Amino acid sequence: MITLESVSKFIISDFHIHIPQGECVGLIGVSGAGKTTLLKLMSGLLAPKHGYIRTIGRNPVREKGTYGRDMGIFLTGKSNLENQDTAREALEMLCHVYRIPKEEFHRSYEALSERFAFREYEEKRIKDLSLGQRMRVELAAVLMLKPKLLLLDEPDIGLDENGKAAFWKILEEERRKGMTIVVSSHNPVEISRHCSRIALIDEGKLLFYGTEKRLRSKYASMDIMQLKLDGKIPDLEDLPLKKYEAEQDMLRLFYDANLVSAAEIIGLILKQTQVKEIQVIKPNLTDMIMQLKGVKEDELNRGK
Amino acid sequence: MRSDTLNLTWIYTKKIMKAWFQYRSDALLRSVTVFLREATGIIVIYFTLLKFDSLNGWNMYEMFFLYSLLFLTYGIMIIFFTGLRDFGRTVRDGSFDRYILRPRGLLFQIIFANADWFAAVGHGGLGVVLFLISAQKVGIEWNVWYAVYYMFAIIGGVLIQGAIFLFLATLNIYLLETSSLKELFYFNMRKFAGYPVSLFQKPIQILMIYVVPFAFVNYFPSQYLLRKDDMQQYPEIFLYLTPVIGIGMYIAAYFFWRYSIRFYKSSGN
Repeated sequence: MITLESVSKFIISDFHIHIPQGECVGLIGVSGAGKTTLLKLMSGLLAPKHGYIRTIGRNPVREKGTYGRDMGIFLTGKSNLENQDTAREALEMLCHVYRIPKEEFHRSYEALSERFAFREYEEKRIKDLSLGQRMRVELAAVLMLKPKLLLLDEPDIGLDENGKAAFWKILEEERRKGMTIVVSSHNPVEISRHCSRIALIDEGKLLFYGTEKRLRSKYASMDIMQLKLDGKIPDLEDLPLKKYEAEQDMLRLFYDANLVSAAEIIGLILKQTQVKEIQVIKPNLTDMIMQLKGVKEDELNRGK
Repeated sequence: MRSDTLNLTWIYTKKIMKAWFQYRSDALLRSVTVFLREATGIIVIYFTLLKFDSLNGWNMYEMFFLYSLLFLTYGIMIIFFTGLRDFGRTVRDGSFDRYILRPRGLLFQIIFANADWFAAVGHGGLGVVLFLISAQKVGIEWNVWYAVYYMFAIIGGVLIQGAIFLFLATLNIYLLETSSLKELFYFNMRKFAGYPVSLFQKPIQILMIYVVPFAFVNYFPSQYLLRKDDMQQYPEIFLYLTPVIGIGMYIAAYFFWRYSIRFYKSSGN
């Protein structure tokens, strides 16, 4: 569906990615990592400085404007709606522009306004809506096109929990029907839960691309055990720990759960000393990304 | 134009009209404001000519006639070219990125989704008023041929100014900000065009005839109908060139646009 080969533009440098049809790819990265630039490159709004891009089998820069309903895009700050319109008028206008038949519009509108629950303010002008309300209409607008490819730039900004739930549910349904989705966010937890693949982007580089599961098994098998001791600090030289930190009666151990189990560690410690408290922490995705950045930087530095 | 495109044109226009009627008093007020703002220039001419009788041989009504063409063409032009006049804004507020991805002609969307009817009515209204005041008093014996000539002159004048806007909008793709260029090459030139071009120094005349050819918007068409003495210093062919220059300039500006649009860079966030 989308192929980027050694693409460079602004912060993006020598970027490779292939997104097959039917995947929902979450772009994760901090602000300024290059997420929006990537989406613009994929859509044809930006031309790459170097490299090769194909979107739905076409060169998006040369053939922008020919995608019609094949591609739906929402970029922050580039609203698809006219401010002085009501939600219904704004969506109807898009139907005229994209040549969507009237009957289809009515059907889609009924369904989407119901699911995003904006019926109660459908008579208000877009400019009078709150950020979250507006976002619901905005998302309904791109989904109404039923595109083959949907590009979304931080669509969860301003959405409340109900809005997010409705949004992700619809995305999941559309993906099952074959829609390809690329969605960026700086909320990794949310996105990794809903996307079939995640792409970690940092300073224009692709740090990781694959399922969340693979990310966890590959990079983040490091667990943390925190103990409060009531006695001497035990000798742990026989355990394959990554590292440990001791601070007064607190002991913090970092270990690879594939190499040594929590039970083994606790067993050895209890032989030597008394323990008041034990806590095992599985790292969350944010910790993992931080860790991954560290790993990659080391790898890069070693290569130099 | 395909019927579907015509349909969208109609929908865009209906929408703008609707906004216009929704804010009726505001709309009226804005049109009146434009009308009065522009009319002050005319009032200055009026008082000047009360004192001096004529400017380079042009009396008050002839001056009004000259002005009427300027306002009529601007009034019509602004219906179609607002999106290009305000192209910097169109780019900045993200509308342009939106248009560029849609399955419709880019210029088509810019032209028909934006139309400044307030300015159109203000300027056009002033043009009509000036025409009505002056047309009877400048000694033109109107016939069918003159009416046809006049129509073509207006079309040409609209295209000349439209081409200037299109050209300046295209420059926006290369330069970040062109509003001062627009001020300099369009609005200032337009102020000069309120007077017979023969009044000015040679360099300004050259500018008005060959560079930013406002002289062909109102001076030469007026001369065709009025035949004032100061026409002798210009080739007679100039009287007939307005539509040709309008079409030529528009085509040139269009190709410049088509060529340049490939270099358009979407702004970052």
